[in-house]
Amino acid sequence: MYGWTGKLLHVDLTSGTCERREIPTEILHAYLGGRGLGVRLMRDYFRLDPFDPQMPLIFAVGPLCGTNSPTAARLACVSRSPLTGTIYDCSAGGRFAWRLKGAGLDVVFVTGKSATPVVLAIDGDRAEILAAGELWGKGVKETVAALKGRGSVTAIGPAGENGVLFANIMMGEGNSIGRGGLGAVMGGKLLKAVTVQGEGVTGVADRERFDAARADVMRLFRASPVIFGELGIAEYGTPALVDLMAQRRMAPTENFKSTFFAQSANYSGPAIRKECGAKKEGCYGCPIQCKKASAKGEPLPEYETVNHFGALNGISDLHAIVRANTLCNELGLDTISAAATLSAFGEARGRFPDPVEVDRLLTDMAFRRGDGELLCQGSRRVAEALGKPGLSMSVKSLELPAYDPRGAYGMALAYVTSNRGGCHLRAYPISHEILRKPVPTDRFSFSGKARIIKIAEDVNAAVDSLVACKFAFFGATLEEYGELLSAVTGVEYGPESLKAIGERIYLTERFYNCANGFSMKDDLLPERFYSEPGSAGEGIEIPPLDRARFQEELQKYYRIRGLSPDGTFDDASLLEKLP
Amino acid sequence: MRDQIDKYIGKLLADRSAIPGAIAIAAQDDVLIAQGSPELAKLAGDTLSRLNSLALVAARPSLPFAEFLIARAGKGETFILPQDTETRTFLHDIPFLRREDLAGDPAPELARLLGSRKGVIVEGVGIIAVGAITVEQAFINYSSVFHSTFVKYLQDLLTDGFKLPGEREAFESFRKQWLKPLSAEGLEFVDAISLDKEEILLEIERVGRYTVERGLVDSFFGNISACAGDLIYISQTAASLDELKGCIDPVPTDNSSTTGITASSELLAHRKIFEETGARVILHGHPKFAVIMSMLCDKKKECAIKDCWKECPHVRDLGGTPVVAGEIGAGGLAKRVPPVIGASGSAIVYGHGVFTLGRDGFGEAFRTMVEVENFCREEYFRLLKA
Ligand code: SF4
Ligand SMILES: [Zn+2]
Ligand SMILES: [Zn+2]
Repeated sequence: MYGWTGKLLHVDLTSGTCERREIPTEILHAYLGGRGLGVRLMRDYFRLDPFDPQMPLIFAVGPLCGTNSPTAARLACVSRSPLTGTIYDCSAGGRFAWRLKGAGLDVVFVTGKSATPVVLAIDGDRAEILAAGELWGKGVKETVAALKGRGSVTAIGPAGENGVLFANIMMGEGNSIGRGGLGAVMGGKLLKAVTVQGEGVTGVADRERFDAARADVMRLFRASPVIFGELGIAEYGTPALVDLMAQRRMAPTENFKSTFFAQSANYSGPAIRKECGAKKEGCYGCPIQCKKASAKGEPLPEYETVNHFGALNGISDLHAIVRANTLCNELGLDTISAAATLSAFGEARGRFPDPVEVDRLLTDMAFRRGDGELLCQGSRRVAEALGKPGLSMSVKSLELPAYDPRGAYGMALAYVTSNRGGCHLRAYPISHEILRKPVPTDRFSFSGKARIIKIAEDVNAAVDSLVACKFAFFGATLEEYGELLSAVTGVEYGPESLKAIGERIYLTERFYNCANGFSMKDDLLPERFYSEPGSAGEGIEIPPLDRARFQEELQKYYRIRGLSPDGTFDDASLLEKLP
Repeated sequence: MRDQIDKYIGKLLADRSAIPGAIAIAAQDDVLIAQGSPELAKLAGDTLSRLNSLALVAARPSLPFAEFLIARAGKGETFILPQDTETRTFLHDIPFLRREDLAGDPAPELARLLGSRKGVIVEGVGIIAVGAITVEQAFINYSSVFHSTFVKYLQDLLTDGFKLPGEREAFESFRKQWLKPLSAEGLEFVDAISLDKEEILLEIERVGRYTVERGLVDSFFGNISACAGDLIYISQTAASLDELKGCIDPVPTDNSSTTGITASSELLAHRKIFEETGARVILHGHPKFAVIMSMLCDKKKECAIKDCWKECPHVRDLGGTPVVAGEIGAGGLAKRVPPVIGASGSAIVYGHGVFTLGRDGFGEAFRTMVEVENFCREEYFRLLKA
């Protein structure tokens, strides 16, 4: 077999066993890898409570991983989110995915719960469960450093150990499996870290075709101002968006009360470069290298993080923001949810935290002490506990990232249709509504957006299963990645067949969610966006969203998806009809 | 959706790339609509309903070049491979269906081909192009196929001459009737643009419209900029030259802000050209004859370089305008154009298009582009005769 290894490592932490199993080829062809494969493997488990010992935690790479397909050294981590209660997946880069593939694996499937803290160590064909000993309780840096000799490391920090609902799993090289609290799922299993070493190579079916497709992808990267332009993400990382979102009046500020922060230039891409001496870093083998690190090698914050520790909390000091980012990485906290939860907390009590208080509260969150005991549950639960449920700026309990939905109507719709809650990356309409890729759409119009969002969700579900990076698609399309995939695997794929796979994955996820009680009542934006305007300026008005028009477009979306007007499935046997 | 369909049917008529009465566009939201000439509309709808995409254009091109390319293609061939930048970058190749492949309902086969390409040619029917997320995108892909087949057919004529019955006559009528003389006559320009933002924006919008109205370029391909002190005003990426209102980014020359992340992919080239030449404005477009002529090189046989479009190190010459190689964006074009454009105020990029300068305003840049294209046009017909 080319591309895939066809192997799954089944790890049962309760019995302490590791076993290599075969993955049926039919399943690989139909779900590719990464998110799709992980979601498929959840079929028998999606109803379990996220903290049920039997709940799987799945790490899945894709068929392109291990080849030099641009941006493909990634994996997806899949489970059920304790924060949102939805099916959950997150794509992450770094070196770990590459090593996992090198160990001859497409999937690591972790189930059960250990009696004492452990580390899962994979080295080529061998896998063993080791006592974590001293490592439990340690920060991410120290844990990674202690395990370095065992290869690539992914680990949780105190936040994951203590069950913080938005705890990340941190990849050793500064990447993270973020947002939905899969770090808490890992902590619940008393699994402190996974290490992996592997030197195997991924077979490529047609080398010449592969080289041609790769050249096509690279040409499109160079032609994309967002990727390789002099103001693009290769130069400035995602903070390149700071100035743009300020100009477009859609940078969430003070818990989304306004959409413009006058001091945002303090943490813009150029400011970070100047102040922190940012240099390029990135995922293994990725030609874009969009991550930035300080001169000392410290990972620097992404766009979402600078906005949320900045504007969203009314903080203008870049160094305070960088510190908060570093602290989150060390504790294993998701930066977006942590900052947004602090912001909701701040508005509820009438005062946003200052930088010093931010540091203290983040630490309290991770260790669940003082205010942290409440804050560790995320903004929805915090706002409800404080009697102000309207102040949680979240969808399905997932805190919204740094694109105000009043400034991009496709984004508004995509936040509610996302299967993992308020996330920008599912349909990623910012790509066309703001960044004009592949073509521009009118950000203040709902026209056509239901169909566009549906298509984009399908495309991105396929992308997350390849697994490739979303940023690659600011230049390339499924046309070129379909070529890469066909060349690698020897199985023919094109944009339409990949979108069909994406649709299958999306519907499976939505089906799981509906089976767990989700429906139209959860496809909801916070009230604020329908009643309060954002900040006007530079000739741009940001009026509240038109609720009727929004609902109309949501109904269109359900029809296009083949769902009932309630957003659910009429056909209870959907899964049985899928491979 | 309907307003979008009307708009782009209008554009296909205005740029004369499709035959009136043989244009249809389909689009799907929660329902599918298809408008235009009934037979094509049916085909467009039937095909689009099989695709996970938003829009589709089916139209008969106003020139028979795509058809001729199919007829001239060898038996067993299933696609054509033009050498211009649009193809190389976005289309990859253009599949076609012959009349005899069309037994029964062509929609399933078309949907299959469009499942992996942006545009297809169908003999006896026309160009079918798909837009993944907007009607505009389908229009752009139609335009790209039209442009690329135009360029390839004229290129092929130079090497192989006429081969088919009726070909020469059709070509003569193209030359005499379809082609219009290019000129800048009667157009108004600001002689020397000031530093005033409003004036600059208006002038860029106006010149953008001129380039399309005068048939110099197709609406989608090109970019325009003006330098004003610490700012470069430049058209955004994926902007139509005839609709630049609201689509011009002010970019600080010292890169102190990144709002210009949405600016044209040629920002770097523009910036370097300003630095190198001191010009005030730059015009860039893809006039077809310049594209064709730029790919003729009399050293092709003995030259060791095969990827001429990006690797040719020579500065060639077309009527006093330097011709260089180089890919778009962060590719080589931004390195090779700035050093050579100053002397003549113009430069041609291999297989891609033309850059021209205005030292004070757009009048000079526009007229220069007209001259370059007219020269290439004449030169082409001279070569064809010889
Ligand atoms: S673009 Fe950035 S995030 Fe994506 S794979 Fe490359 S380095 Fe990683
Ligand atoms: Zn160009
Ligand atoms: Zn040469």
